[in-house]
Amino acid sequence: MDEAWGLTRMTKVEVVVGGEDVPVVTELFSEVGARGYTAISNVSGLGHSGYHQGRLLFNDRSVLTILTVVLPAERATALLDGLRSLLANRSGVLLVSDTWVSRPEYFQ
Amino acid sequence: MSNPDLPAARARLLAQVEEAARVIAPLWPLATFVAVNPLWDLRHLSFDDAIANAARVLDIDGYPSEILFAQAYADRRITDADLRAALGELSAITADSPRRLRGGDCEQENPENTAGARDGTCKESCSSGKVMTPTERHDYVFDSALAASVDREVAKWCGAYLASILPERGTGGFYAAWRSMVVRDPSARGLVGKAGRDRLGGYGSQPEDAILTCLDLLDITEEERVAQIARQFARMPGWAGHAKWRSRWASAASNGPALHMLDYLAVRYCYEAELLRAARTCKSKRYRLRGLALASRSGLRDKRPERGKLLPGRKEWFDVVDVPDDLREDLSSLSSTEAARATLSAYETNYRDQLLAALNRPAAGPPARSEACLQAQAVFCIDARSEGLRRHLERAGPYETFGFAGFFALPIRYRAFGSTDLIDLCPVLIRPNSELDEMPSAGAELAASRQLAGAQGLSAASGALRAARKGAVSPFILAEATGFFAGPIAAAKTLAPARFEAVRRWILRMLAPPAPTVIAVDLGDKAMSDEEQALFSEAALVAMGLTRNFAPVVLLCGHGSTTENNPYGSSLDCGACGGNTGGTSARAAAAIFNRPIVRRLLADRGICIPESTFFVAGEHDTTTDRVTIFDPHLLPPAHRDAIRELEVALRYAGNALAAERVSHLSGARHTDPVAQVVARSADWAQVQPEWGLARNAAFIVAPRDVTAGVNLSGRCFLHSYDADLDPSGTALEMILTAPMIVAHWISAQYYFSSVDPEVFSSGDKTVHNIVAGIGVIQGAGGDLKVGLPLQSLFDAGLCYHEPMRLLTIVQAPQPLLDAVIARNQILRELFDGRWVHLVARDHGCDAWKVRDPHGAWTNWTPAWSKAKEPITCG
Repeated sequence: MDEAWGLTRMTKVEVVVGGEDVPVVTELFSEVGARGYTAISNVSGLGHSGYHQGRLLFNDRSVLTILTVVLPAERATALLDGLRSLLANRSGVLLVSDTWVSRPEYFQ
Repeated sequence: MSNPDLPAARARLLAQVEEAARVIAPLWPLATFVAVNPLWDLRHLSFDDAIANAARVLDIDGYPSEILFAQAYADRRITDADLRAALGELSAITADSPRRLRGGDCEQENPENTAGARDGTCKESCSSGKVMTPTERHDYVFDSALAASVDREVAKWCGAYLASILPERGTGGFYAAWRSMVVRDPSARGLVGKAGRDRLGGYGSQPEDAILTCLDLLDITEEERVAQIARQFARMPGWAGHAKWRSRWASAASNGPALHMLDYLAVRYCYEAELLRAARTCKSKRYRLRGLALASRSGLRDKRPERGKLLPGRKEWFDVVDVPDDLREDLSSLSSTEAARATLSAYETNYRDQLLAALNRPAAGPPARSEACLQAQAVFCIDARSEGLRRHLERAGPYETFGFAGFFALPIRYRAFGSTDLIDLCPVLIRPNSELDEMPSAGAELAASRQLAGAQGLSAASGALRAARKGAVSPFILAEATGFFAGPIAAAKTLAPARFEAVRRWILRMLAPPAPTVIAVDLGDKAMSDEEQALFSEAALVAMGLTRNFAPVVLLCGHGSTTENNPYGSSLDCGACGGNTGGTSARAAAAIFNRPIVRRLLADRGICIPESTFFVAGEHDTTTDRVTIFDPHLLPPAHRDAIRELEVALRYAGNALAAERVSHLSGARHTDPVAQVVARSADWAQVQPEWGLARNAAFIVAPRDVTAGVNLSGRCFLHSYDADLDPSGTALEMILTAPMIVAHWISAQYYFSSVDPEVFSSGDKTVHNIVAGIGVIQGAGGDLKVGLPLQSLFDAGLCYHEPMRLLTIVQAPQPLLDAVIARNQILRELFDGRWVHLVARDHGCDAWKVRDPHGAWTNWTPAWSKAKEPITCG
């Protein structure tokens, strides 16, 4: 996949964190100038700290949320610095991959 | 942006601030006081490790005092058998997992070191690990008071900002507002000089940049940052807690000036840097010599007496009471902290054993009644204060009671008639997605317009009075103009509070006569859909075990409190309703349960509520023990007699509960208990209108059969639950991950406020001053007070509350319970980390089992039976 498709290369960062940590993660996105992100709450799964229930009826803060943001690589570096520092002492998953977007101006 | 590393540095700083803020708890505004575990964000550690970690930064005592333990032993609230059981458990855990037990405590690799631990050597070593801010280190060496100056200035600006005295600078927030004003502050000039004052405003336009600059100036390395920032927060956990609430818990749409953590920290660090710079400009020989000492010493000077020092001669509690020699020897071999852990465990074991024994005894409960003659069912909040009312109501007639979280499974945002404010009526763990409005009933439009006109007139008068009080000259005129009225009013309020309150309410009713209203549960863009209403109704009914045999009347009873001149009034209201009164949630839930469409949808789901059943809403005033039935205009004629009889029974139950409660209140007299509680409720000088949730101890998830007839002394949160209706464990999961968390927060708030009132309680109510409507300070300035006031915890200097960790008791099949715990990290943290104790049994005929921190279950054996001692009854 390259410029022949008319796409622009970006970095995609996906973070899975507890509901309580969503505000600081989105604040980090803003800090590095991200102009948008996607959040999917109530995700379930198994990690090194055990199984995580997908949805709790009356507790939004103890369930997992996956947040996805797409950035130019140079800004992703700053974000990764912050996220690695954040996740050094708390549960979470950080996934980084290359991605291609058709409208890069939305992600600058 | 000239520095290419700056974005990464800012991002790391944000993460470091978040990590540092773990040691402080969010502080909700007074109007919606929410009890919270002060160490909630350290729950990934065990209870003991969290205390040890927090002690390094907050300088706290995390266990009950020696005096409390000595008193408890003297009262046989702790017995020798309890101590032996606790010491046995301690040694088992030590052998199994020494690091977990010791975390942060004085390490003792062999028994020879234990003498050193007790004579204080080890405490000094431990205390040397405490963190100090740069100004604290300066104060330590030079006997200066720079850290206090930082606190004083920052508190002053925080108060001014939240009271809207500082001009808002667009969206700049607190730091921007402070930066623009501090350069004209005479107090700053007095502290750091004119040049220093100018520099205060020149640390950068962004708070992150100011903090980074100051951290560099103060030589704080990247590795030291989290601990250093945590200590900055810990200097004033009230203001920092408010900032944490605003940054991490408050809705983005919250009104008023927003104090965020980064802004707060930036202002603190600017003062830190400038005050130290000003102090260091005086480079005398003395300074340099002592600076060398500074470099070689670390650790925070102990500000307060250590636990042992509370007793004469630094003795431990077991040195001043008559403990058998073998126990004294065992306790003496432990460090102070380990001895406190063991004694706390004994204290908790004693209560657990008594409670389980009481539940095992055949109860002298209400007579068994056939379902056919059941006149009404009443659903109360799980709040421990409902327990007494339920017990007495069940004795008063053919009534069955249930316990459920007081928001009745309706996470709603509510707007009262005539108001523009929206209130979240649900636990703070969730964000409501639907909005409900209160509206005039059909045909009551004229009455509603009269009420609205009256309310607007009263509001305008009240606003004018408030404005006149705050003006520069008007207070003098106001005093002259109204003094003749204010004096007699004050005298009447003081001498006859109940009568004055009755007159005041009568006048208000005359000026703004209340119109009949309804809560519009099926109107508006943001109202719940019919399907959602049915879903939440089903969740509530299944979770409380009420899915069949409905009585003709079902009362949904929230709770609230009526007190005068009490900034902490909302702390007596319903935690499940976000610190608001619960009557509105009950009204909304009753309206939903009475909707035919909801009943049809429920019937599709297998829950058939007969047409002859009517849901009615009420509210228990926990200060007066009066229950108000709402919306009389909605009562069907066929149910009016039954509801009238229910009201009589509720009045009987309330009177009986008032008589039970009043004897525990300070200054109670041998006169009519009902009149006494009513008078306390209306008395503007009363600092203890009720005990609230003091002495709360356990959370019981079981059918009412398990607890019916047992006098639990208002100490237990009671959640009805029938495992037979919940084969998947969904309802149990809901109960443990929401109501139990709220109960744990309440329990932990009372615990820490009691064990270290200097840090975790809000102190003496009589010297409280309200700041900006969001919190209180003691006297004229300083930190916002956190936690509960002393009058909610102590009686005549002794701790009335019994500080213990929450005991959760569940009647449900063990595999189901294990599965729920296994799939929820929050439950694993609480139970494995010993924040909450768990006891369970499969069915009513089974033996109780105790879960250990590793998830293993052992049959409950009371400590007294192990030691062959007689049973103690408290």
